[in-house]
Amino acid sequence: MPASLPPAMTPAPHAPAVSAALTETNVRVNSDFRGDRIVLYGAVFDPLSRPSDVVVIVRGPDQPVRIARKSRVAGVWINSRPVVFQGAPGFYIAASTRPLDDIARFGELRRLEAGVDHLAMNAPAEQTTETRYGVRDVVVSRLGADYLDWRRAVVRLKTAEHLYDVDEHGVRFVDKGLFRAEIPLPAEAPIGQYTVRILLFQAGQPVAEKDRTLTVEKVGVERGLYLWAHRRPWSYGLAAMAFALGAGWAASSAFRRD
Amino acid sequence: MDIYLPIAEVSVNAPLLVALGALVGFISGLFGIGGGFLMTPILVFLGIPPAVAVASMSNHVAASSMSSVISYSRKRSVDFRMGGVLAAGGAVGSVAGVEAFRWLRLLGQADLVVALSYLVFLGIIGGLMFWESAGAILRRRRNAPEPPRRERRPPWLYGLPLKLRFPRSRLYISVIPPLLLGAFVGVLSAIMGVGGGFVLVPAMVYLLRMPASVVVGTSLFQIIITTALTGVLQAGRNQTVDIVLAALLLLGGVLGAQFGARASARFRAEELRALLALLVLLVGLRMGLGLFFTPHEPFVLMSGNG
Repeated sequence: MPASLPPAMTPAPHAPAVSAALTETNVRVNSDFRGDRIVLYGAVFDPLSRPSDVVVIVRGPDQPVRIARKSRVAGVWINSRPVVFQGAPGFYIAASTRPLDDIARFGELRRLEAGVDHLAMNAPAEQTTETRYGVRDVVVSRLGADYLDWRRAVVRLKTAEHLYDVDEHGVRFVDKGLFRAEIPLPAEAPIGQYTVRILLFQAGQPVAEKDRTLTVEKVGVERGLYLWAHRRPWSYGLAAMAFALGAGWAASSAFRRD
Repeated sequence: MDIYLPIAEVSVNAPLLVALGALVGFISGLFGIGGGFLMTPILVFLGIPPAVAVASMSNHVAASSMSSVISYSRKRSVDFRMGGVLAAGGAVGSVAGVEAFRWLRLLGQADLVVALSYLVFLGIIGGLMFWESAGAILRRRRNAPEPPRRERRPPWLYGLPLKLRFPRSRLYISVIPPLLLGAFVGVLSAIMGVGGGFVLVPAMVYLLRMPASVVVGTSLFQIIITTALTGVLQAGRNQTVDIVLAALLLLGGVLGAQFGARASARFRAEELRALLALLVLLVGLRMGLGLFFTPHEPFVLMSGNG
């Protein structure tokens, strides 16, 4: 998780503060789930009314990313060894009132992991190869000079799947001190606990923050089938096959012509 | 009307899937094949993760073969003993295929092997079928006589040990060739998400020299056993069987197959074979030629967390 603000800046007098609430804290994934829009309302409390910027970061559960690069071998394009990036969120959106680069400097954004370019996908510094699940030479490491290409490719491909995004005008002030943000959640969004971090910036510095959580969970039949398939895979497999064979048999009797 | 698939974890259009199931079912009824080679690429194209598409197709193929094998067995055109020997080989092949597929996924080479298998096997089978059926059509146009069929069976079939009598096929041959054939089809079924009828049927006719009347029924019987095992193994080892997806495809597939079987009576056998050959070639080329073009995106995310 990104680093928190130093505790020293909270107790000062006239200190600005930020507060926010999600209109929905549980996203229920059922059979007609086609994605959702998470709406967030918040308020900036600042007795001195200094110019403020708000950044809302929605982050899904971390999922290691396996990525390969295609290269040409004997006329055929084949995948290289897959490279594993650790610490990549399964879902990430940074919405803000202005482009992030105008709100704060590089160092602050990097420390707060604000923006897809600042995600701490920690491929360990030294080149190590490990044996995983009996497969030799899986690289879990920095990739020398090409490292940035690989990193950008992760972000590009995740963005293409609507799993990563940066919305430079996703947060709007609707009234004095009152802001609203709308976060699109695609049907492909991973299941799990999400954190929503609301950051208040003034003069390029983060001055207040608030964390909220959001749960994306399967419900009903989808949840039952998913849990069955993952917790008791063999009984699920047998039942699924019995169902399929039974359906085939039933169909042939229904269409019997003699 | 979209529906969220619990295992594939994507949202798909349900009527579209049912319609595609019906279309592929129609084609499979028309030609007397499983149709897996057509359906699996379509599912991948629709955005379903390839591992889930391949595994769920096992359930779909098992169900559709089940619905047609019953009518064949009523007509006594299933050689259960030969089917059993093929299936014994198929069981070994499908266990090996599921493990191989798991290993290939971890290596990141599953896509390559799937695409190459489609290109090579569909290319060869489609090419041979097209050559044979085009020849038959031309001969009929010229009113040329059928070439005499070589009734002499290949000697290697008889030189091998472990002979067994297959009364319904009127054969007395070694069990080794059918076992090997079954194992090969089992591997294909796990890796390509197909039943393997397009390999089995020609092999039974040209290699084993089984009578044409029992070939399709016996191949369906073997496919049921092999795909049933593959489906359970895929669910148990890889957790990739989506029963909702299989059920949707089945709904359309069963209906389509019945209409296809009725429509097939209106065409000549060699014309149907030529059409099927073109379809097989097209799918093989579509799946395989992508490997030779420079990709727009040089990087690719691997599914599964390995």
